[in-house]
Amino acid sequence: MAEVNATDGWEPKIIAIVCNWCTYAGADLAGISRIQYPPNVRIVRLPCTGRINPFYVMKALQEGADGVLVSGCHPGECHYLTGNYHARRKFAMLKRYLSYVGMEPDRTNFTWCSASEGERFAKVIKGVTEKVRALGPAKKLVKTL
Amino acid sequence: MENVEKKIREEAKKLLADKKVDVVVGYERGTLPLTATPVFITEPDDADRLVYDATCVQNLAKYVHDILSAHKEAQKKVKPEDKKKKVVGVVARGCTSRSLVIQLQERQYGRDDLVVLGVPCNGYIDGKKMGIALAGEEILDGSLTGEGVAVKTSAGEKKIALNDVLADNCLTCRFNNPVISDLMAGDNAPAKAFDREYEKVDAFEQLSTEERWAYFTKEMGKCIRCYACRNACPSCYCKVCFVEQSMPQFVGLSADHTDTQLFQLLRTFHMVGRCVDCGSCISVCPMGVDLRNFLKKLDKDALELFENRAGAKMEDVPPLSTYKENDKEDFIYNP
Repeated sequence: MAEVNATDGWEPKIIAIVCNWCTYAGADLAGISRIQYPPNVRIVRLPCTGRINPFYVMKALQEGADGVLVSGCHPGECHYLTGNYHARRKFAMLKRYLSYVGMEPDRTNFTWCSASEGERFAKVIKGVTEKVRALGPAKKLVKTL
Repeated sequence: MENVEKKIREEAKKLLADKKVDVVVGYERGTLPLTATPVFITEPDDADRLVYDATCVQNLAKYVHDILSAHKEAQKKVKPEDKKKKVVGVVARGCTSRSLVIQLQERQYGRDDLVVLGVPCNGYIDGKKMGIALAGEEILDGSLTGEGVAVKTSAGEKKIALNDVLADNCLTCRFNNPVISDLMAGDNAPAKAFDREYEKVDAFEQLSTEERWAYFTKEMGKCIRCYACRNACPSCYCKVCFVEQSMPQFVGLSADHTDTQLFQLLRTFHMVGRCVDCGSCISVCPMGVDLRNFLKKLDKDALELFENRAGAKMEDVPPLSTYKENDKEDFIYNP
């Protein structure tokens, strides 16, 4: 079934978990500047990347997301001063761990994007969508029951 | 080891008689041959029940935390003038002492709530390896003889070399002597082959993505979610574990394989900078899930990225509670 879907107009579903202060505002800027980017992304806004539990990423993958993007303020620019530094440690571990168990590394993506980088936000979404599209629909860790 | 055992009993007796501790957590002979079981000694006369040899498996830090947190909880209902302090003595080898360090770093109790009776460790016997060595025959009687184990089964008597049945984590243990101790029973044990610590992880990393995923799903497919690994783990002490959280529910309880996989991924990920490779989870696992392969990877990464060895030093800060401005950023996506 999934094979049929893969060729038959399948579109990647990407969950972007972003911080309220930088990337969400960056996405907003991309919007008001009318920069085009693929509509495959669903944005979840959280106060800070430090607030993002690594479980959210795994849970999103289990619930059927084809890819996950986590994005926050650039290091040193966190609204809460150190939230993204802590997040960076967590996600460095998470990315390595998920590839270790055999998940495709390109399904989980991490980046920084500030409030003034609407252009960059669109580029990131384009890039991630293409990477996930190349992988095809997620099959690993996807709940089917 | 005889001397170590004698010294533990002496010291435990003294500590209890002098009222320096309220309870000593140690090991006593199990009801089955070649087993030891955790014991809580509160009377000096009972100290002779303590044993210590290669049959002592469980990490006792778990019980220290249980006792002290239960005590703390009970003290909440007591009038301030009636509050009592409880001091726990614990027989601690390398991994147990590292778990204690982690719990101390995480401010679970104070250093003065604890008297650490350090013991050198030469490794413990892995029950599953024993089962394989005896081809599943039931052990009727057994004894440790220096470098080996003499076992009697219905098929006859057999002598097995100790190195053939020691647990994997013991064979490549880096910290087989306690990292903290108030008293030390016996001299330090000789070093193990710790340079081969990450051998298996390195080999696993060389496999292809699909091979790794196949192994992961095969191993997790065995898991029956009895949560024995969590219950035995000294670092798993949350009052409400995420697996029992229902509002919101993190991990589903269906028969879907991904629920089990997710549970294991999440539990092992909780062990970043907190797993001391004591092997308790593996020894209690009724299904023989190869958890160590995955836990050891986290240990390796934490060392590579943050130069952290879980519980190695009291002054260390848990790796995920701190940061450096120049932490590695090679995983960040830059279009």
